[in-house]
Amino acid sequence: MKKWIPWIAMGLAAAYALAGLGRPKYGTDLDWVGVGELPVLQGGRLKPLDTVARNTLLTFRGKQTLRSEEGTTSALEWLLRALADPGRADKDKVFVIHDPDVLGLLGFQVKDKYFSFDDMGPHLERIRDQAERASKIESKQRTRFQGAVLNLHERLMTYQMLRHTVQDPASESFPSDIRAFVGKLGPGREALRASGGKPRAEDPAIAALADSFTRFQLMAQAGYFRFLPPLAGEGKDDWRNMGEGLLVSLSSGEIHPLAGRYAAMMEAFRKGDKGAFAAELAAIREYLGAHHAGVLRQMGHEFTFNHAGPFYRGIVLYVMAFLLVCFSWLRWSDVLGKAAYRVLLVAFVVHTLGLVARVVLQGRPPVTNLYSSAVFVGWAAVLMAVVIEALFRRGFATAAAAVTGFVTLIIAHHLASTGDTMEMMRAVLDSNFWLGTHVVTITIGYSATFLAGGLAHIYILRGVFSRSFSAEAAKSVAQMVYGVVCFSLLFTFVGTVLGGIWADQSWGRFWGWDPKENGALLIVLWDAIALHARSGNHVGEKGFMVMAVFGNIITAISWFGVNMLGIGLHSYGFMDAALFWLVTFILSQWAVMFIGSLPDRKWKSPVGAAA
Amino acid sequence: MNLQRVCRPLADLRLTLFSLGLLMVLVAICTVAQVRMGVFEAVDRYMRGFFVWWHPAALPFPIPVFPGGATAGLLLLLNLLASFVVRLRLVKEQAGLWLIHAGLVGFVAAEFSTGMFAVETLMQISEGQTRNYTESRERIELAIVDPSDAETVSVTAIPASRLRAGRSVSPPGLPFHLITRGYFENAAIAERTTEAPMAVNLATAGTGATRSIFPQEAFGGDQKAQNSPAAFVEVLEGDKSHGVWLLSAMVADPEIVEVAGAKYALSLRHERHYLPFWLTLRDFRHDVYPGTEIPKNFSSLVRLSDPPAGEDRDVLIYMNNPLRYGGKAFYQSGYQGDATTILQVVDNPGWLIPYVAFCVVGAGMLVQFLGHFFGFVPVARGGREADA
Repeated sequence: MKKWIPWIAMGLAAAYALAGLGRPKYGTDLDWVGVGELPVLQGGRLKPLDTVARNTLLTFRGKQTLRSEEGTTSALEWLLRALADPGRADKDKVFVIHDPDVLGLLGFQVKDKYFSFDDMGPHLERIRDQAERASKIESKQRTRFQGAVLNLHERLMTYQMLRHTVQDPASESFPSDIRAFVGKLGPGREALRASGGKPRAEDPAIAALADSFTRFQLMAQAGYFRFLPPLAGEGKDDWRNMGEGLLVSLSSGEIHPLAGRYAAMMEAFRKGDKGAFAAELAAIREYLGAHHAGVLRQMGHEFTFNHAGPFYRGIVLYVMAFLLVCFSWLRWSDVLGKAAYRVLLVAFVVHTLGLVARVVLQGRPPVTNLYSSAVFVGWAAVLMAVVIEALFRRGFATAAAAVTGFVTLIIAHHLASTGDTMEMMRAVLDSNFWLGTHVVTITIGYSATFLAGGLAHIYILRGVFSRSFSAEAAKSVAQMVYGVVCFSLLFTFVGTVLGGIWADQSWGRFWGWDPKENGALLIVLWDAIALHARSGNHVGEKGFMVMAVFGNIITAISWFGVNMLGIGLHSYGFMDAALFWLVTFILSQWAVMFIGSLPDRKWKSPVGAAA
Repeated sequence: MNLQRVCRPLADLRLTLFSLGLLMVLVAICTVAQVRMGVFEAVDRYMRGFFVWWHPAALPFPIPVFPGGATAGLLLLLNLLASFVVRLRLVKEQAGLWLIHAGLVGFVAAEFSTGMFAVETLMQISEGQTRNYTESRERIELAIVDPSDAETVSVTAIPASRLRAGRSVSPPGLPFHLITRGYFENAAIAERTTEAPMAVNLATAGTGATRSIFPQEAFGGDQKAQNSPAAFVEVLEGDKSHGVWLLSAMVADPEIVEVAGAKYALSLRHERHYLPFWLTLRDFRHDVYPGTEIPKNFSSLVRLSDPPAGEDRDVLIYMNNPLRYGGKAFYQSGYQGDATTILQVVDNPGWLIPYVAFCVVGAGMLVQFLGHFFGFVPVARGGREADA
C-alpha cells in the first residue's frame, strides 16, 4: 500500500490541475463563455471581454469575483450589468476603500470596506475636488491620502466610462434610438450635402442629426473599450466603441452591422429576455466568425487561460508539495519524499503551461513586466531545483523549490491587481530580442540566488534546530548552494552585460548607474565576494550559507527595492504594500542569518565543522 | 622575483574582498542618493572620484570622508593585475580564469574611460531644419557672432563659468571687452517694472532696457537643464561703454551691438559643439498603441550630408537603432510636438571596450565550462590552494 502513496499523490495533484479545464460555472444560465470570448480593444491590445471584466473588477475591488448576500457573482456577469443595466450595477458593492482618511472624507464607518456607486453618489463632487488637488502634486510627493483619493477618482471615472461604452445610459431603449437615428441619417445627410458645406441649424433634418451627434460624441469620448470590429478595407487597429461607430455612420451613411446587435443584446440582458439575448449573441459571433475568425479563436484561448487559472492552481500544488516534504522529515521519509517530488513535478508542469500560454498569447518573451518577472523567477528556480533533486534525491531541493514557487506566485498574484498583466510595452522596452536575452538571463540570475538562499535556509534551520541533519547531508546541501551561487553569478553577470549592451544601443550609455542596473551589479558583486571568500577559505561551510541568505536580501532589493525608489528608466511604479512585505522579508532574512551565525555549540546537528 | 615581492601583498584575496565590498557600499549609497540629487550628481559624487568629499560649513575647503568609486576600481585593478603575476600561472588549466579576469579589467577600464572622455549632448531638429551642431544639456555659453564675413561666420564662445559678476573678459580678436554686471543661474523674464521688489533692472541697452528679470531658485541635480540663466554684461570699447545688455537663455533672438562700425550678435545659449557635417530632419514619426497614450515607436528620418567625405544619404534613427557617424552616435531620445525630434548625441571614444571585454570574458567562461565538461580542468575552486 505504502509504495502507491507517491502515485496516488501525483494522481490527485494532476486531477486538481485538470479540473481547471472543466466548463466554467456561472450564476445564470446564459452562454457566458460565448460572451466572455467577445473581442474588444482596450489598453492597446485585443482581449476577450472576460479579461476586461476580471482586470476591471480586480482594480476596483481587489478580487476577481463579487461577493454579496446574494452569493458570488463572476467578474463577467458584473461587467455586463455595468454595461447594460447601470440601475442595478450601481447597487453592487464593487469599490474597495482601505484608506481611513478617504473613508473619513466620505463619512463612512471604518468597519465597512466595500461600497457601491450609489453609496458614493452624494460624495462625487467632493472626491473630484480632492482628486483635482492631488493630481497637481507630482506623484512622488503625494501623501497616502492623496494617492488613495486619486485612485478612487480614477476607478469612479472608469466605472462611468463603462456605462457609456455600449449604450447611452440616459436612454430608455438604445436599440430604438439607433433605429430612429437610421431613419434620420438619410435625409440629414441629404440636407447636409445640399447645404454645400454651410449647414443651417434651423433645417429640421440637420437639427435632428445634430442632437444624435452630440450624444454619440460624448459616448465616443467616454467609451472604455472598443468592440465594433474594423470593416472591410479598414486598418486592423480601427476598432470602435458604440459612439465612435455611430459617428462614422454620419460620414459613411452605413450603420456598423454589429452596432444594433450589441445594443439589442444589452437590452435583452437588462430585460432578462434570455431568448433574445442568445439570438443576438449568436448573430454577433457568427459575424465575427465570418470576418474575424482568427481574432475570435485567439480570444477563446485567452478565455480558457483565464478560466484555467494555472498560477492559482500552481500555488495550491506547491503548498501540497511543501507539506509533504515537511512530513517526510518526520516520518516515512522515503515514500513521502517521493510523493512530494512528484506533486512538485505536477505543479511545475502546470506552472510551465501557464508560462508558455502567456508567451503564446502575448507573442512576447516570458518577462515583460514586474508581474511576469515574478512568475518567471519562480519557474526558473523550480526548474533548477527539479534538476538538482533529480541528481541528489534528498528532498532539500524539493522543499526549497516548493517554497520559492509558492512565494513567487503569491507575489505575482498581488502584483496582478494593478491591471492588465499583458499590457503593451513602452517604445524603449519594445524589443523582443533584448527582452528575450537580457531580461530572461538576469531573471534566471535572480532565481538562482533565491534558490541558493532557500537551500541555505534548510541547512541553517535544520542544522540548528534538529538533530537529524547528518554532516554528510549538510555537505551535499552546501555543494548545491555553491553550485547554484556559481550559476547565479554567471547569469547575473551575463545578464547585466547584455543589459549594458542594450542600453548602449538604446541611449548610448553602456553603464548609466541606473538603479536597476546597480541592483543587478550588487548581486554580481555579492556573488563574487561569496565565491572568492569561500574559495580562499576565508569563510567555512556555515559562513557561506549565511552569505547565501544575504544574497536573498540583495536580490529582493534589486528586484523590488529599486521600484520603490520611484526613479530610473526601469521603474515600474510605486507600491506601498509591497514595501511592508519587502521590509518584513529582509528582517526575516537577517533573523536566519543571525541563527546561522550562532556558535557551533548551539547547533543541534554537528555540521560544517571540517570546512 | 622583485616583481613577485611587490605584487604579493597587492594580490591578497582579502584586498579583493575588501574592494568588492567597498564597491557594493558605494553602489548602494549612490543608488539611494539618486532620489535626492539625481543620477548625474550622485555618480559624480560617489562613483567618479577617488574620494567622497564633505564640505562642512565651518571649513573653507572640503575634506575627504570616504574612498570613492574610482578608488575601489583602482584597487580592484591593481589587485587583479597583481594576482596575474602572483597567483595565476600560464597553464592550460587556468586559461579560462585568465580570460575571465582579463575581461573584467576591460570593464573597469571602460568605466574609467567613459568617466573621463565621454560627452553627451542633445540635438533638437524640427522637420525641414538642418543642423551642424549639438547642444549641451546643462552648460551655458555666451556667444558672440561676427557676421562681417559673408562666407564664414566666426563665433566666439565664452563659457558661463567665466561670467561671474564683476569679472572682465576680453575675447581675442574683437575690438571690445565685457564686464559681467550680474549673472543668475535661473531667472524669469518679464516687462520692466520698478514696483516688484524682486525685479532686477540693470540693462541700459537693447531689449533688456524695457525688461526686468526675476531671479529664482536654481534647480540642482538632474533638473539642472530646466534652469534658464540670465546675464547682464557691459560692452566696453576701451573705456567707452556701449551699455549694459541683458542676455537670457529664454530669448531666442540675439542682441545686436555695434562697435567700431561692425555689428556683433550676442546671446546666452546652451553650449554648442559644431560637427563637420550636417543633419536635416526629413520626417519624424511618433506612434502610440491604438486607443492609448503609450508610445509604441518613434523614429527620425534624417539626411546626412558630409560633402568632403562624399556622404549624402538618408538615415532612419529609431529606438535601439542609432546612427554612428564621425565618432559620434545619434540616438532617438525624445520629441517635442509632432514635428521636432530630440536626438541624444554621445561621443565616447571607449564605447567598444565593453564589447571587447565581454567577448574576452565570454571566451573565458566557455573555456572554463567546457573544460569542466570535458574534464581537462579539474573541478577546482579558483586559486584556493595558492592563497590559503
